[in-house]
Amino acid sequence: MTTTTEPRVPEASPSAPLISVRDLSVAYDVARTGKRLIAIEGVDLDVHEGEFVTVLGPSGCGKTTFMNVVAGLVKPSTGTVLVDGSPVTGPGPDRAVVFQDYALLPWRTVFDNVKFGLEMQKELRGDGWRDRVQEAIELVGLAGFESSYPRELSGGMQQRVGLARAFVAEPRILLMDEPLGAVDALTREVMRDEIDKLIQKTGKTVLFITHSIEEAILLGDRIVVFKSHPGAIKEVIETGLERPRSERSVQHDPRFLELRDHLWDALQGEATAAAVSK
Amino acid sequence: MSAFLASGPNLGRGGGVAAWLAGLSPAGKAGVLAAEVVVMLLVWQVVVGVLGWINPVFLPPPTAIWQGFVQLVASGVLWPNLLISLQAWLIGFVIAAVIAIPLGLLMGTSLPVDRVVGPIAWTIYATPSIAYQPLAKAWFGFGIGPVVFLVAISALFPILLNVAAGMRTTNASIIRAGRVYGATRMQLYRSVYLPSTVPFLFAGLRQAVVLATIGMVVAELSGSAIGMGALIIKSVNTYQTGQAYAAIAIVMLWSVGMAQLVTLVERWVAPWTRKGRR
Repeated sequence: MTTTTEPRVPEASPSAPLISVRDLSVAYDVARTGKRLIAIEGVDLDVHEGEFVTVLGPSGCGKTTFMNVVAGLVKPSTGTVLVDGSPVTGPGPDRAVVFQDYALLPWRTVFDNVKFGLEMQKELRGDGWRDRVQEAIELVGLAGFESSYPRELSGGMQQRVGLARAFVAEPRILLMDEPLGAVDALTREVMRDEIDKLIQKTGKTVLFITHSIEEAILLGDRIVVFKSHPGAIKEVIETGLERPRSERSVQHDPRFLELRDHLWDALQGEATAAAVSK
Repeated sequence: MSAFLASGPNLGRGGGVAAWLAGLSPAGKAGVLAAEVVVMLLVWQVVVGVLGWINPVFLPPPTAIWQGFVQLVASGVLWPNLLISLQAWLIGFVIAAVIAIPLGLLMGTSLPVDRVVGPIAWTIYATPSIAYQPLAKAWFGFGIGPVVFLVAISALFPILLNVAAGMRTTNASIIRAGRVYGATRMQLYRSVYLPSTVPFLFAGLRQAVVLATIGMVVAELSGSAIGMGALIIKSVNTYQTGQAYAAIAIVMLWSVGMAQLVTLVERWVAPWTRKGRR
């Protein structure tokens, strides 16, 4: 841990955080049982520009709800979320989401799926958008598949379309909801490294939801560990590993092993607690 | 005829005939179907025509049915009956589609409309169309009117209910993706809800074709002087069962042909639904 890549150390950044979450809670009324379900409670988090934050937790811990609030898809019950100093009141062009189930439009080709975000944002004036769409497709390695339908692509390739659609909208913040959760193990590893490179290259701020310990360590500058019932932040850990990281380069790194053991213990306790309370 | 061959999950394991059938090209599948028809006609001919196991007045052999067809054409009886039936079918089907598609879209969009129209629609759909036949005669007299009515009421509900279901089952994840990129309600409607309803619309139209043909024949079976249903009854009453079966075969071919036409239009309008290999 002698070297660190330049502006990626949040405490060293004197500027205001890009995302600022204060005392955030989300609760739903469950119509069937008539009870009020607390999805997340008392979440505080600051994310600085250019930071890659992974959010790790067992399923059902509210990490996706947390992301949806930042995305503007879910309204907070209490607390505030500021993006670049302004409260989030809904989705906006400064944020794009990559979904676990890809959320592609099956009736659109790859090209038209990537164009979808721009189209909804009414950014299709002029001709420049075609080049932007094409660039994004090439960025994610899908050149040659522009006129394929999602059904004709593997899961990994479909998620590349999802990534291209998010990148082409040029958001400051990328919100990724277990983007690799539905792809096979090998593809997962390859794509994890590619996402890492893409983010380093484009300098986006990322909130990356995952339940994979390795993914959280390998991608994150910081790891936010969630606990369940109710969903809340259990701890926040700086990874402090050099980039670029790959599974091979870090697997004997003592810091990696230490983090993995620590997170493993933290999550196992959570998973057991979740199983008992069900 | 691919619409009539199984395309669902193949639960049989391994190979043999099932694997061979599954691997056939469209031309190969058509060949298998043609062979099946030829074998069936041959067996039929031998059992009834050659061996005489069944009284041909009840079940004439294929050659007698062909003779019946030739007689119907030569005597000039077929065309006026066929034309009046197809006219009633087409008018009734268009009326059904024109009412069902917009109403289905409205039902799928608005919960109050769904709650009001839905139960009534299901009740009428669940009633056998033959029950309306005497009433239709009373309401619309003895011309084409009652036939159009029975065709329309038979075709209306499968279209209506499928379109409504298509709207309601639009993938929530795709809707979220639209919202993330700031889609307006109109944009969501046009770019997400409508295209995702298209396969349901065509499924409804295919069912409607079959039910419309049933409605047509039922309407013409009694109290009608003209039409394919009337022709069937007249032929049976005069013991010309060859002609009766020829008339039934023509109705069957119309029904199958229109269902195929719907499938062809679907492939053209909605190429993404085509079942292809990866």
